Formats: sequence, structure tokens, C-alpha cells
Amino acid sequence: MTGELEQLVEAARAGDEDAFRQLYRNLQPGLLRYLTALVGADAEDVASETWLQVARDLPTFTGGEFRAWAVTIARNRAMDHLRRQRRRPALSVPVQELSELAGDADTAERAGESLGTEAALAMIASLPPREAEAVLLRAVIGLDAETAGRVLGRRAGAVRTAAHRGLRRLAVLLDQQGAAGAPGDAVAGAGDVPAGPRAEARPRQRAGLPPQTEPVDG
Amino acid sequence: MRGLRVMLSRSSRVDHERLLDAARATRSPRPAPGPGDPLASLLRAAAAPARERELAGEEAAVAAFRAAHLTEATDAVTRRRRHRLTVGALAWVAGVAATATAGAALAAVGLDRSGPTPPPAVTSPAAPEPTIGPGTPTGEPSAVPTAPTDGPTAGATSVPPTSPPGASLTPSPEATDHVGPGNSDNTTDRPGLCRAYLAKSERQREKALDRPAFNELVVAAGGAEHVEGYCRNLRSESDPDSTTGAD
Repeated sequence: MTGELEQLVEAARAGDEDAFRQLYRNLQPGLLRYLTALVGADAEDVASETWLQVARDLPTFTGGEFRAWAVTIARNRAMDHLRRQRRRPALSVPVQELSELAGDADTAERAGESLGTEAALAMIASLPPREAEAVLLRAVIGLDAETAGRVLGRRAGAVRTAAHRGLRRLAVLLDQQGAAGAPGDAVAGAGDVPAGPRAEARPRQRAGLPPQTEPVDG
Repeated sequence: MRGLRVMLSRSSRVDHERLLDAARATRSPRPAPGPGDPLASLLRAAAAPARERELAGEEAAVAAFRAAHLTEATDAVTRRRRHRLTVGALAWVAGVAATATAGAALAAVGLDRSGPTPPPAVTSPAAPEPTIGPGTPTGEPSAVPTAPTDGPTAGATSVPPTSPPGASLTPSPEATDHVGPGNSDNTTDRPGLCRAYLAKSERQREKALDRPAFNELVVAAGGAEHVEGYCRNLRSESDPDSTTGAD
């Protein structure tokens, strides 16, 4: 996987357009999902800015983890974007827009999977930002804790802890949804896992979880 | 009791690490076993393969790449020179900015010649900073892989503490407080920007022009409403075999 990626990067650096295309297809979905958690509906714009810059700066990329490099660009772009936005009146709450997205007509046709992805991302985006970022970089972009730490400017251990907390929170959210019935099905229906008695399957006594599981703005 | 809790939490930490690692890897039908199945399926859903609309920007990105690489190839010869002159170029940019400001001020003060001064004419994309430099046209055609020094534009990105004089052109005031690549707006690639711009949908175009990345186009075109015409011109003169959108 990583070796393949390196080859693509090399080829793209040498001017191979198809290789660049492959890189885009490989990375863009995760990038967009990560950015959606950071900047909400503007993620697409920030993503295209990111790719402009990736295309332009690829010759200066000196090796290492390409995904980490690109994600760092994306993150910087997102931070710039948020700074700009802070100077303007606030417009959006990411999580809300995410759930609106889930209701889009074009997602309906691809029912199960798409809805599941949107719902899952909305839940992750509802975590405190640090935890959400850690979970997304680890699980969705596919970076290891060390690399994610480099992107975030934090230690690997801190990333692990944040991701761990995030997952615990998610488990509780899933529990609540499972208990409430319907909404959880959107997520569970996405996977290829047979629907089971998921309410009992989770150890409730996982304990130590702080009570605030409400979505955090911004 | 406390020990038990620590143990429990440690093991769930390990589980979680596994889940996180598995989310992207197991796109295969084999789901990770063990407790936390709903969590695993949530993560897998979040890391699910690309959906079509997530790749909507592909052509724009590829167009940008194409443009960047074209410029790259043309610049290969002048690379070394450019690198040496990065500082000079920045000073030059600052000079231009100062002149433009002064010019605007003069225009505002005197002479009932209303309206801003016309934007500098962009001739061709293949001539970046053409006037400067002593010119050492060494005939090295190959793209030198930036080995001898730290690369042509890397010079601009990798020395954050010295706020360059050209910063006035691209306002990113607090840009130094985050690490890594990604804060160099100095290199201009109008054809690339144009391709990216033209590849956007009507709705996105409007929004795009609010972004600093495209700000340059607005300036170069002399106003947001002229960007489209400007880009079409630029494209037709720089890229006769343009088949954008069709490929």
C-alpha cells in the first residue's frame, strides 16, 4: 500500500498525469471527509485549494509520507479558512450540514452505504475537535499514530489517547442510538456486519467516560 | 479494583488501536472480530471507498497538475537561476507592489483620470520573472531533482521566520503558527488557476473568486466579472489543443 503510494508519488513528480490522478482518487475521499469535520460545507472548496497547492508544490515534496504532507497542507488551508471566516459572521455548524448532506437526493440512490458513511462521519464530527481529528486521521486517512501526531503537531501518545477517548465516546453514542432504535440503523446498516443484538454486545460498564457527549460546535 | 479498571482500559485501548488500523485496511468482507462491532462498522462506514461526488474535483486537480508540470518543464532550464534569485525575486515583487501602491495613490491624487490603473499585462505563462537575472543559460534540459540545494520554491516555504517582503501580496498574517508545508502563495500559475477555475461549476466559480487562491486571477483580469473571459483568452493562447472537460 505504502510502497504503491510511493511509486505513484515518484511518477507524479516526474510528470505522470495518471499517477497524479491515482493519488487524487486515493486521497481525496479521506481528505474531504476530514475537512468536512473541520470546516463543514466549505470542505470541497478547501479541498480544491489543497489540490491546487499539492499539484504546484509536488516538485518540492522531498519524500516521507505523502499523505501526511498533503493532509498537512489541507489542515493549514482549513485553518486559514477558519481564520478568514472568523472575521466574517459565522455561517455554519458542520454537524448540521453533514446531516443535511445525508438527506441529499443523490445519496438516496446509493442508499445503505452512503447514508451510513454520512451518519458515521457526522457522529465523528460531533466529537470534541481533538478527538475527531485523531479518529479521522487514524481511521479515515489511514495514518499511524506517529504520523498523525506529526500532522497535528502532537505526540503519538497524545494522538492515541485522543483517539481512544473519541472511540469511547462514539461507543456510548452508538449505545444511546441503539437504545433509541432507528438512527443507529443508518450506521449499522452500512457495514457488512449482520445486524445483531448490538445493544447488549457493548460492555456498558466501560466506565470513566465523562458525561458530556453533546456535539461541540466548531 | 482500580487495577482492574486500569487493565480494562488498557486492553480497550489496544482494541481501539486495532479498530483504527483496521478501518481502512479491511475493505474486504472480513470484519475485525471481537467486541465493539458497532464501533468497527461505524469506522468502516466512515472509511468507506470513495463515492462519486467526492471525486467531483478530479478534473480540476488534474488540470492544475498539468499546468504546474508544464510550467515546471519550461522552467527546468531556469531553475537554478531562479533558486539563487528567490530573495531577489521577493524584493522585486515587493518593489512592484510598492510601485503599484504608489501608482494608485498618484492616480487617486491627481489628474481626473478616474479608475484604477490597468493591471499589468500578462503575456505568456512560460515567462516567469523574465527580466531579472544575469542569465546563465546552461543547457541542462532535465528536471534537476533539487538535489544540490533545497529546491526552487522550497526556499520560500522552508524559512518561515523571515517574513518575506512579498508577504504584502498574499496576506496570511498568522501563517507562521502552524507547521509543515503549505503556506507558499508566492508562485503564480495563472494558467493553472484558470484551468481550475474553468473546470468549476457556475456556482463554485462565484465562491472560488472569494478565495485568496483565486484572488490573483481577479486582480489579473481586472475584476471578478472579467475572470472568465480572461481565462478563456489565456487558455486559447497558451494551450491551443485545449480539450478541457472532455477528457
